Amino acid sequence: MTLKECYYVLEGDYEGVTGRLGGERLVRKFIFKFLNDPSYAALVKSLETGDYEEAFRAAHTIKGICQNLGFTRLGASSSLLTEALRHQNAEEYEALAALVKEDYERTFSAIRSLQAEENDGRTL
Amino acid sequence: MKLQEEAGKNRENQKKGNTSRFLTISFFVVVAVCVGVFTVFTLAMSRKSDEAINEIGTVYMTGMNERISMHFQTTIESRLSRIEYLIQSVPPQDADDYEAMCAALSYGAEARGLQQLALYMDDGSFEMIFGNPIELADPEPFLNSMRKGEKKAAVGWDSSGEEMIIMGISAEYPAKNGKKSIALAAGIPADYMKQLLALDNEYSLVYSHIIRRDGSFVIKSRNVEEDNYFDLMREYFQKNSGKDSETYVEELKQAMEKEEDYTDLFYLETDRRHIYCSSLPYSEWYLITVMPYGSLDQTVNKLGNERFCLMLLSMGVITLALIVVFLMYFRFTQNQIHELERAEREAVRANGAKSEFLSNMSHDIRTPMNAIMGMTAIAAANIDNQQQVRNCLKKISLSGKHLLGLINDILDMSKIESGRMSLCTEEVSIPEIMESLVNMIQPQMKEKKQQFDIFIDHVETEKVYCDSVRLNQVLLNLLSNAMKFTPEGGTIQVSLKEKESPLGENYVRMHLYVRDTGIGMTPEFMEKIFDSFTREDSKRVRKTEGTGLGMAITKYIVDAMKGNIEVESQLGKGTTFHVTLDLEKADASKEELRLPECHMLVVDDDEELCRSTADALTEMGITADWALDGDTAIRMIEEEDRKQENYRIILLDWKMPEKNGIETAREIRRKMGNKIPILLISAYDWSDIEQEAREAGVTGFISKPLFKSTLYYGIRQCTEKPDPVNAAKNQGADFGGARVLVAEDNDLNWEIAEELLSGLGLELEHAENGQICVDLFRRSPEGYYAAILMDIRMPVMTGYEATRAIRELKRPDADIPIIAMTADAFSEDAQKCLDCGMNAHVAKPIDIREIAKLLERYVTV
Repeated sequence: MTLKECYYVLEGDYEGVTGRLGGERLVRKFIFKFLNDPSYAALVKSLETGDYEEAFRAAHTIKGICQNLGFTRLGASSSLLTEALRHQNAEEYEALAALVKEDYERTFSAIRSLQAEENDGRTL
Repeated sequence: MKLQEEAGKNRENQKKGNTSRFLTISFFVVVAVCVGVFTVFTLAMSRKSDEAINEIGTVYMTGMNERISMHFQTTIESRLSRIEYLIQSVPPQDADDYEAMCAALSYGAEARGLQQLALYMDDGSFEMIFGNPIELADPEPFLNSMRKGEKKAAVGWDSSGEEMIIMGISAEYPAKNGKKSIALAAGIPADYMKQLLALDNEYSLVYSHIIRRDGSFVIKSRNVEEDNYFDLMREYFQKNSGKDSETYVEELKQAMEKEEDYTDLFYLETDRRHIYCSSLPYSEWYLITVMPYGSLDQTVNKLGNERFCLMLLSMGVITLALIVVFLMYFRFTQNQIHELERAEREAVRANGAKSEFLSNMSHDIRTPMNAIMGMTAIAAANIDNQQQVRNCLKKISLSGKHLLGLINDILDMSKIESGRMSLCTEEVSIPEIMESLVNMIQPQMKEKKQQFDIFIDHVETEKVYCDSVRLNQVLLNLLSNAMKFTPEGGTIQVSLKEKESPLGENYVRMHLYVRDTGIGMTPEFMEKIFDSFTREDSKRVRKTEGTGLGMAITKYIVDAMKGNIEVESQLGKGTTFHVTLDLEKADASKEELRLPECHMLVVDDDEELCRSTADALTEMGITADWALDGDTAIRMIEEEDRKQENYRIILLDWKMPEKNGIETAREIRRKMGNKIPILLISAYDWSDIEQEAREAGVTGFISKPLFKSTLYYGIRQCTEKPDPVNAAKNQGADFGGARVLVAEDNDLNWEIAEELLSGLGLELEHAENGQICVDLFRRSPEGYYAAILMDIRMPVMTGYEATRAIRELKRPDADIPIIAMTADAFSEDAQKCLDCGMNAHVAKPIDIREIAKLLERYVTV
């Protein structure tokens, strides 16, 4: 799997991100770091405990990361969640959180498999 | 749809019919009830009054009869008492001498006003003492009474035939021949009695008769011819209450037998009369009194008629009032029904528009979704065919972008509808906005082979305060709309004019026109173009794109900017949108745009453009000539060459009829050599023609729109040697180790920022939240940091708070440039950043060029 394919799978803006970061090297470096980013876990936890202010910040951070890394799809859903949390549209939280979860998992697994292939490639 | 409408109309009509039918029926029912009640009431009243009159009649008649019979009694009694006195004055036991007795009696009788006096004998014969002889009409009862020793009156005649009332009191007087009388009888004339009793008063309504039990008259009044009252009754009594005259007679006879009074009503011809019969004392007689109701009836009838008229009148008034009330109520309900219908129609329309919008939307979302799914499937099936997969991906990406656009529109609209959209005013450069706009749409126009031109007319003010994102959205909406509805080969033209604003010196009025030669609009559609959820009839526009919200959003934004948007359109000819905005001038230190004095030539087929460009150049200190086509231009250049006054620079439009810019340049080079720089003006991306143009001898390019600044910078390249420092700055600055503090709570974002910004020659330090940022800044020596990049949403302390805290510090560099990095491109946050003291904001994703540009502005190396 190439980085471009990975972006295709996670529905991101490959051209945009490589353009901004000046090539694939940095993109790869940062998206692997994304796997360890605590923001999503923080979001899930704060939604569970009902701390919506913290949840808003976490969603906002995820949105920022997505913009920086060109994760269009996850960015869109986290943006919707951010807006819902900003305006306290409580009835939307659950559905949007589920959407973010789905997109996060898709993004996560895509990057994960890219990383796995890369590691395989190295070991080979 | 039509069927539905008809059904709806039928239903409405039916409803209307029901209501009016109900009203009509209830109106007639109420009127009928009214009439009925009044009739019954009137009838009852007249019957009651009849009864009352009868009652009054009866009471009156009773009184009348009583009075007459009393009168009769007293009259008879007074006569009888006279006879009694006579008997007392001539006591029978003392009457030894018959002659003397007769003389005394006759003297006494005469003195007492008696007309006759006689001794009544046991055999019923009279022995006259005084006056004419008398004879009884009916001797039998009289004789009986006398024998019993009673007092009695009876009718008789005297010898002259005059009718007499004969009264008798038993008294035993000696008579002739040694006989003895049983009674003393005296006579008084019946006429006298009649007069006395006033039985026949001509002036009274009431008249009376006295009859015997067999109906024969004792005393007749008026002109009665019959001898028997019963015959009279039989002859004249008309039927009343189902009785015939015989019944009256029978009833009267029965009452007589029972010694009761009798009263009843009867009709004499049409005249209603009341009869009253009672027995008279001292006789076998009955007093019959008759009262005609005539005038009483007339009075009562008059009263009744008046009452009836009044009733009729009041009924009329009530009916009229009812009609008025009903009519008013009817109109009221009609109005209400109309109101309701209108509201219903409105609701149905709005609902229809929404559901149509929904179905359109679903369709619009499905189309790109289908494309994405289909292309994905094709790509998956041809995974080894790189060319095909690339092609598929390209299409998928296009569809994705389209979808994103749709969703953005819907989000915007929902924001607008809930009133949450706000403007974020900042300093913007109109040339930059126009330039980016042109860059954005050019590829699509090229693809659709549409002619595009942009035209700037005397725009002096290039920097204004405005919401750049929203302004861009307006322009983009108008342009993409124009592109959408303009066929291949059509022309789209944008022009921008500056005029004085009525708001004062600090404002400028910008007129923006977007013209196209597209399919145009129907007048009907023009009326609702700015409504939500409308889209041009899909019969005319086969391939619909967009949500139908673009124009509504555009209109809303323009309204929010206190501007105005108008549309003119002709079906099949094209459409012009005209946006007018009053914008505040940014008081940016105006760079004096002056160029060294020289002589220039502008060549363009558009005379307006030539004039306005020449004017702009003149203001910069350049004398400019202009030509409308290539050949004229070449002639002018040759002319100048002869005068040894060569043009310093030539501005040449690329797209010209007959001879285009490149051909003209080629010819100029051929004739004049390379000494005059030629700049090619193009509204298009010139990368395609760059090589050809350069080969033809073009020195450089200037892109439309031709703002003053565009001209200035474009021409300056040719007039002076480039400044090495500026050039270096422009080419990707080096900040020579300036320290920048980055406040960012997310490590990943920080690392990206560090990676990118260190390339600019910046030294970066990291603050994990707002508090740390403030602390680091406070502890640093003065001037240690050149700038701060600030994330907004951070734990412990937000970017806003941190900025305020830094601004409040008492140190000379508390006004350090702070640039916000926010994830909300569209958001209200941007305005808030500026409000709490930040210098600028950039939206994520971090774009190194943008940040470099901002840092350049704020950081002095």
